[in-house]
Amino acid sequence: MRILAVDDDPIILELLGQFVEIIGAHDLTTAPSALHAVDMLGDPNLEPIDCFMLDIQMPGMDGIELAQHIRNSARHADTPILMLTAMSDKRYIDAAFAAGATDYVTKPFEIAELKARIGLVEGMVKERQQRTKKIFAAKTIADQATHMELFEPVPIYDVDNVIDYTAMENYVAQLSRSALFGSTAFAFTIREVDAFHATMTSFEFYSLVSDVAEILSDTLVDHQVLMSYAGNGTFVCVTESGWRPNMGGLMDAVNFELSQTELFDNNGERVHPRVSAGEAVRLIWKSGNSVMDALAQAHASAEAASEAHTRSLNDFWQNDQQA
Amino acid sequence: MTKMLAELPGIERIRQRFVEMLDERQTLIATHGLAAWDGTTVDEIKGNLASAQAILHQIAGSAGSLGFEELGRLARKCETQIVEHLAGPRANHADCPIEIISELDGFVAHCRQEIDAHA
Repeated sequence: MRILAVDDDPIILELLGQFVEIIGAHDLTTAPSALHAVDMLGDPNLEPIDCFMLDIQMPGMDGIELAQHIRNSARHADTPILMLTAMSDKRYIDAAFAAGATDYVTKPFEIAELKARIGLVEGMVKERQQRTKKIFAAKTIADQATHMELFEPVPIYDVDNVIDYTAMENYVAQLSRSALFGSTAFAFTIREVDAFHATMTSFEFYSLVSDVAEILSDTLVDHQVLMSYAGNGTFVCVTESGWRPNMGGLMDAVNFELSQTELFDNNGERVHPRVSAGEAVRLIWKSGNSVMDALAQAHASAEAASEAHTRSLNDFWQNDQQA
Repeated sequence: MTKMLAELPGIERIRQRFVEMLDERQTLIATHGLAAWDGTTVDEIKGNLASAQAILHQIAGSAGSLGFEELGRLARKCETQIVEHLAGPRANHADCPIEIISELDGFVAHCRQEIDAHA
């Protein structure tokens, strides 16, 4: 992998050079500040970077702003970003995830941890190369044969507070290392998403999911929420702000916004997606795997609510015909 | 320092550089600490404390990886103290808490011990 490490401390950059040298065949480039990195990234001759390692606290432009800058570039919108941080930087870690970070490594470094994180990133890079090929292929109308699976947690770009699903899992894992008093997980599922998926091209389906993500993001804008598309038409959300979401009210607000938004498929036909909301699951008193279980519980309850809604509609029509 | 870390081929060279930089850094921390203590305006005090904190942050981030665990722990403690002060209500008073200066003083003394030990 080609790695770009950005840190204002030359000792950290030297240490990373040593680590990268012994953990595998990686090519490390370094920059002593975020502005240097921005300059490097602006060079059209720069070979694409496979992984960024960014210090969070740097003078001038910090690692969070740099992560945003990277995410806004078409070339590296999908490239894994590992933040380099101290555990005492908890207040910055949330902002880093919201800015597009994939995961973080704590200082002082433990070589085993660093090796494990870079190994995970390597796996992601390979997976993303496949996925990117699919998305670009899906954008080509001529290539209608390429198909994205319904369950795929495809990344959604350019929507505020929507992060990649792997980053969400990493974010929730780090939550379990700190106080969870004000944290709640909840989810929304697009109703009858399998029908949309079955009748749409991959690009149409991806666009639909992105549009719903945008409306969810707009509806939740006043709350401190991170959200991710988990596949199967479901968006999982986590808030740490102490806010206790009223799921019924939220679902109505999202569906109202969806009803006010004109969404079309490639044939110019209007589509009418609606969502169901699951239960809000508080994360307090949970630790380790049970925090991940809580996320899964929120996810499953939204899908169950969506299925229940579909069933109730079918029952309604059947009863109506029998009457 | 973990066994694997100790076996990194260039680790001794990096440790040596860290100690050389520590000499400059502890001087800067002491200078900013004194300037904060002598400061008469809120901006002067906050600015100097923030500068000291930025250097402490760098030391805290790398010292532990190079086998200077206690130095890293003390740097983090001083850093946290300054961060909490700057985020608290007393940050807007034109005086610098003696507790911070006392902690910085202890940290600078520890830096000198480490520098002497590696001279």
